Amino acid sequence: NEKKEKNKNLAQKWLMQAQVSPQYTHKHSHGGVPEIQYFGASALHTKISRYWSDIPTDQYESLKTQLFSQIACFSSGSKMVLTRLCVALASLALNTMPEAWPGAVAEMVRVFQEEGGGVDGRARCLALLELLTVLPEEFQTSRLPQYRKGQVRGALGREWGSVCPLLQQLLRRTDSPGAVKARVLRCLSSWVLLDVPLSESESLVHDCFSALPDPELFDTAVEAIVNAISQPDSQRYVNTLLKLVPQVLALQEQLREAVQNGDMETCHGICRIAVTLGENHSRTLLEQVDHWQSFLALVNMIMFCTGIPGHYPVNETTSSLTLTFWYTLQDEIMSFESDKQAVYLQVYRPVYFQLVDVLLHKAQFPSDQEYASWSSDEKEQFRIYRVDISDTLMYVYEMLGAELLSNLYDKLGRLLTNAEQPTSWQHTEALLYGFQSIAETIDVNYSDVIPGLIGLIPRISINNVQLADTVMFTIGALAEWLADHPVMLSSVLPLVLQALGNPDLSVSSVSTLKKICRECKYDLPPYATNIVAVSQEVLIKQIHKTSQCMWLMQALGFLLSALPVEDILRNLHSLITPYIQQLEKLADETPNPSNKLAIIHILGLLSNLFTTLDISKQDDESADGSAPPVKTAPPPPGPNPVVVVLQQVFALIQTVLSKWLNDSQVVEAVCAIFEKSVKTLLHDFAPMVSQLSEMLGQMYSTIPQASALDLTRQMVHIFASETDHFPPIKALFELVTSVTLSIFQQGRGNILCLMPLSSLDVKAVFHCGVLSLKFPEAPTVKSTCLFFGIGGGASRSLMDQFAEVLFSLNKHCFSLLAVWLKEALQPPGFPSSRVTIEQKDNFSHQILRERVNKRRVKDIVKEFTLLCRGLHGTEYAAEY
Amino acid sequence: MAYQLYRNTTLGNSLQESLDELIQTQQITPQLALQVLLQFDKAINTALANRVRNRVNFRGSLNTYRFCDNVWTFVLNDVEFREVTELVKVDKVKIVACDGKSRNYK
Repeated sequence: NEKKEKNKNLAQKWLMQAQVSPQYTHKHSHGGVPEIQYFGASALHTKISRYWSDIPTDQYESLKTQLFSQIACFSSGSKMVLTRLCVALASLALNTMPEAWPGAVAEMVRVFQEEGGGVDGRARCLALLELLTVLPEEFQTSRLPQYRKGQVRGALGREWGSVCPLLQQLLRRTDSPGAVKARVLRCLSSWVLLDVPLSESESLVHDCFSALPDPELFDTAVEAIVNAISQPDSQRYVNTLLKLVPQVLALQEQLREAVQNGDMETCHGICRIAVTLGENHSRTLLEQVDHWQSFLALVNMIMFCTGIPGHYPVNETTSSLTLTFWYTLQDEIMSFESDKQAVYLQVYRPVYFQLVDVLLHKAQFPSDQEYASWSSDEKEQFRIYRVDISDTLMYVYEMLGAELLSNLYDKLGRLLTNAEQPTSWQHTEALLYGFQSIAETIDVNYSDVIPGLIGLIPRISINNVQLADTVMFTIGALAEWLADHPVMLSSVLPLVLQALGNPDLSVSSVSTLKKICRECKYDLPPYATNIVAVSQEVLIKQIHKTSQCMWLMQALGFLLSALPVEDILRNLHSLITPYIQQLEKLADETPNPSNKLAIIHILGLLSNLFTTLDISKQDDESADGSAPPVKTAPPPPGPNPVVVVLQQVFALIQTVLSKWLNDSQVVEAVCAIFEKSVKTLLHDFAPMVSQLSEMLGQMYSTIPQASALDLTRQMVHIFASETDHFPPIKALFELVTSVTLSIFQQGRGNILCLMPLSSLDVKAVFHCGVLSLKFPEAPTVKSTCLFFGIGGGASRSLMDQFAEVLFSLNKHCFSLLAVWLKEALQPPGFPSSRVTIEQKDNFSHQILRERVNKRRVKDIVKEFTLLCRGLHGTEYAAEY
Repeated sequence: MAYQLYRNTTLGNSLQESLDELIQTQQITPQLALQVLLQFDKAINTALANRVRNRVNFRGSLNTYRFCDNVWTFVLNDVEFREVTELVKVDKVKIVACDGKSRNYK
């Protein structure tokens, strides 16, 4: 076996070398190992398709003949070798038709139909079909030059006249074996990709329909039909398409049987055909007004598929295929001008109302026992399916409008007020889900149904987790509406707060509370105490996982933003004090993995709280003037409550930091508090600037970390133009830069160290640079940074920004730039050992010369940076 | 071949940075780096098509639209992105979209 392997490898090596040499001719052994034969055939194909010009013209005929005979030989041999040989011959045909080989296909057909040669008829037939199938496929993947492609495509199109009758003949013969018919269908699938006119293939496509009842041929027949109809070109052949509709409708019997027998494959296939026809040609068929009934019948057939009995994905996988059809049909109808549209809507509005009913029925959860028996994958697929239905409903609302909402509302009302018949929670949940789908994305402000809906919600007996979730999400979806109708808050808030205590409803209840707090904050002060109390309780009881705790804090941040300052401070203190106490205790302990988690958790809670606690924001949505005047009051005087709290805990945070300086995650969590606060507070953060800058400076000089750099960058950004507060930040920046530089100057440094520099915002760097121009050392530091970055220290994706800095420097301080360029690039091996002195000089000259065209400067920097990185000329960096 | 669209994302850029680094330290050749990028294209296209479950709604005003070489480019203004956990508002967003159903990926 080893020897065989060795021989195989040797042979492969030899063939590999021979493959690309001009002397190679098609000598590969017959009766050898299939893998080698395959390799030989493959090598031949490569030669013919890629190195055609190496083959002398006088060899074409012999090559052709040899291939024909080899194919005949292998027609009863290894299939993979046969296919390779066919592909090789196909490639030959494509290179020589039509001039050097006119009537190629006709000749192929003739050669294989000839008896004799010791090869049986059936094998010859299959070989011919294989050859004909790969011919269009090879064309699609060939590398022929554009003008050749056009010629060959035309030639192939003309050859369809020889192929089509052959295929038809083989398909119709009752004595043709199944294998042959299947190949015929695959061959058709292949040829329709060439955009052969559908009208020419019409009867062949009809024959495909006749093949559908045969289980052996079903799949390939479906494929062939679908491929034929989906070709964009087919839309030109209106009559052919019209004739297909009854063919498709005739499949309904087979479809119904398949449904009864639980035959998912057959349902799937037939549905595919109906949907492909409907989706690809809805416009064409819609416009054939004389045939409106048959198209409507097709639409109803697709509706049947949408509503196929059973639960997706366990009992059926067909319904999901139909969803995009409904979008397409709606788009077409809505694109007509209003007169025409009105006529169509008379017919199709009821259809779409029916669709809504069908979709809501399909969205229903199964019985509890059945659902429990599903795998987690099936449950996930069902969840996605419901989301798809939600999307479809959302779209359908565009067409049906307010009537849809009242329709749903009526149904829900009847369901909930009907004391006689017991309702399943599944039914209620699905209706609510329908509401939720629509409410989230449209302007429900003008709907008169929503107050009623909200009134109905308390009537729902919430005895099931999924139902409870949907109730929560529905309320959440109406948050914007509630902001404009705050009187309804008292009906829904209790439900939400109650749900907060249930760990099963964690995600839905917290996200809903957050939405309400975000949208309705100015109407929540009366409820604030209660909300804070409940939140505190659930946090202490540890009902929610980390993410939801963080969302909860964000919700509280929104809530508190709308309170008067004293109330904010009071609530903040009561909320945070327990955590501060915990943190104090943890700060005293020696670092270990469990107290690390606790510390990061507490720091996270604080960050999230400060992310949304913003007293300066005015209510954007009250712009229409309907809001009471208190919403537009100016921000209160005095220090920001967040700043007050931060200052109070600053010492504690410093203590924590000093113990955990080595741990990048804790450092990151600490920085996050300030980062989130700075982003929200902006200039209100000013009182904290000196303390924080000092702390960061100390932190970074001891152990440089990326999060400290990011925070520094934020501060530079926000305070760069404020002369009062900038000095400590400037000092911090200079410290940070020199520390970073010294790391690089000590040697290559490791990857972690390279990261911080690449995250530096160079515009901020430039800003600093310009401001500190009077200090002789500072600019040199900055420019060294810049060129170091270009030399390979910074990510290639930043080069455009570096180029912009250079361009601005060129414009505003040309002489200084000239000096910096000379000084910075002078040391040998800087910024990279790969660039020569000439290349550096060239770069300097080009930069200095280009004072007008920013694009050109970017190109110059790009070229230089590739040279520095040793990437110039590589395919890897080719598109840079 | 899969779309190269995702190379200019945080993930794609980070990968390229790492590859650049490895090339610079001569631990890999540019050819290998190219192969890695091609594999990245395949992997990310597949993952986004099959493994992503999130749903984000967005609303905004359409500033420009373009359809060329089977690629849609939209520029929208004042856009709101809503997801279960977040709401993000931006002044300007550019969307580049390639055909997800196309058999002949570029």
